[in-house]
Amino acid sequence: MSMSGSSDIQPGERITLTVDGVEIAAHLGQTLAAALLANGQRILRHTRRAGKPRGLYCAMGVCYDCVMTVNGNPGVRACMTKVEAGMQVVSPVQFQPYARPA
Amino acid sequence: MSFTIDADIAVIGAGPAGLTAALVAAKGGARVTVLDEYPEPGGQFYKQLPAEFTVPDRTRLDRDYTKGDALLAQVKAAGVTLSPETLVWGSFEAGTLAVMRRGEGGTVRAGKIIVASGAYERPGVFPGWDLPGVMTPGGAQTLVKNQNIVPGKRIVLAGSGPFLLPVARTLIVAGAAPVGIYETTHPLAWAKHALRLWGHWDRVGEALAYRRTLAAAKVPVHFRHVVVRAEGRESLERVVIAQCDGEGRAIPGTERTEAADTLCVGYGFIPAVQTTRMLGCEHRYNRKTGGWVPVHGADMETSIPGVFVAGEVAGIGGAYAAMAEGTLAALSALRQLGVAVTTSAVTSALQERTHRRAFAALVGDLFTVQAGVYDAVTDDTLVCRCEEVTAGEVRACAQPWGAHVNFVKGATRCGMGYCQGRICGSTVEELLTRKLGLPPGSVDGFRPRTPLKPVRVGDMAGLASDDR
Repeated sequence: MSMSGSSDIQPGERITLTVDGVEIAAHLGQTLAAALLANGQRILRHTRRAGKPRGLYCAMGVCYDCVMTVNGNPGVRACMTKVEAGMQVVSPVQFQPYARPA
Repeated sequence: MSFTIDADIAVIGAGPAGLTAALVAAKGGARVTVLDEYPEPGGQFYKQLPAEFTVPDRTRLDRDYTKGDALLAQVKAAGVTLSPETLVWGSFEAGTLAVMRRGEGGTVRAGKIIVASGAYERPGVFPGWDLPGVMTPGGAQTLVKNQNIVPGKRIVLAGSGPFLLPVARTLIVAGAAPVGIYETTHPLAWAKHALRLWGHWDRVGEALAYRRTLAAAKVPVHFRHVVVRAEGRESLERVVIAQCDGEGRAIPGTERTEAADTLCVGYGFIPAVQTTRMLGCEHRYNRKTGGWVPVHGADMETSIPGVFVAGEVAGIGGAYAAMAEGTLAALSALRQLGVAVTTSAVTSALQERTHRRAFAALVGDLFTVQAGVYDAVTDDTLVCRCEEVTAGEVRACAQPWGAHVNFVKGATRCGMGYCQGRICGSTVEELLTRKLGLPPGSVDGFRPRTPLKPVRVGDMAGLASDDR
């Protein structure tokens, strides 16, 4: 799907990064959140208690709802983090010991 | 690894207020450093594109991009030091700030501090507001203006306030016209205040231009409507909207459903007072300027000597008021540093501030969030997104003896997550005061704790080991 805005603006060099083991394309200058949205991925994590899906909310670094694990560092805001070639991203999932019985 | 920055004046925030303050202060001969969390200066108003993006022909860009260029160029020419990607996270003695820049801890020593930390949006809270696809209007604006990407295909805008208009325009220009705008207030409310528009012709012109853009793009605007809930399995699929009464309360039986993959809801802005709270400034509640606001005089000095505020943090007033206040704060700081400041410079900035604040007061009278909007917050609605606390759990903390935000924190963990209550704080205040039947402002806001935003212990440790 096409999500791009103005054609008068060109993003940076095309690179690839890995999200949950899958390689995706992105452009330098893009935030991780925007790169994922451009790839059609709106769910950035699942909450640790209820396991509910969450996506981009404030997009300006305030709400911390878009936090992902980047290169092994947890709690990194996808909206404030620019993509880098070879970046390893993991989408946080529900914290299992607190999982509710099915 | 650590670093130290010495400055006569440290400015926190590189938006319209902070950049203007920095420019005026530097022209007055002060050594000025601007600390800002984002990679590119400009704040939310003068949003810049990432440095990695290229624009073959800048004249073809939407006018929003070029608005901040002149101010930024002047700031750089005046010799201001810009320190981007720099988070102010603590302050352990007067006149010093603990900062973190790309994982490196630092200390800023400054004679005067101007806090121009801006604002964030007052969220719309209703069942399903945590679904992916539900976001703030400012979030959508940022995605388009900073990242050149649209947030979705079927976008609904809702809430209240004039900010919905530029967001709608941004989406239209980007080719993603909203399928509808739902505003809780009624246009006839303007009639009562029509005379107060006198003299504010530039703002009236802006509003009319926005309405023309909406009409040309055939975007329907529905007044007196409120979002009741958002629905979808893994992400947003539908929005349920109802007509509302004059208090913003949904009228039963008027619900209708709009298919959407993106819903942007906001009820104006809340001053970002975490830094001024941390610095010990006294705050007072003023609902019409966004809630808790640092006490300050016309010289913009807070209750802490040498600490000044400017712009949205001093009460929501828009970018023009912010720039006037940036000037005033800088002139006051310069005067305290022993620099001769002309009376005419102060007088003209004061006049501009009074003029712009008068319009802001009108916007506040018309669009301040209506109490009935919070009726959409059912007991099972999530309030704290970080710690997953519901409205029912928060309401249970309002006891016959009263309520205190620290009790809510202790009992529920609400407000103790990564965002430190920035997103849930306003809702907690509303739920508690309404449950107790008290006026807004009767319950204090969350007290921020150091670090103001999460920083890694290892990065802090680097700072500590250098001190030894």
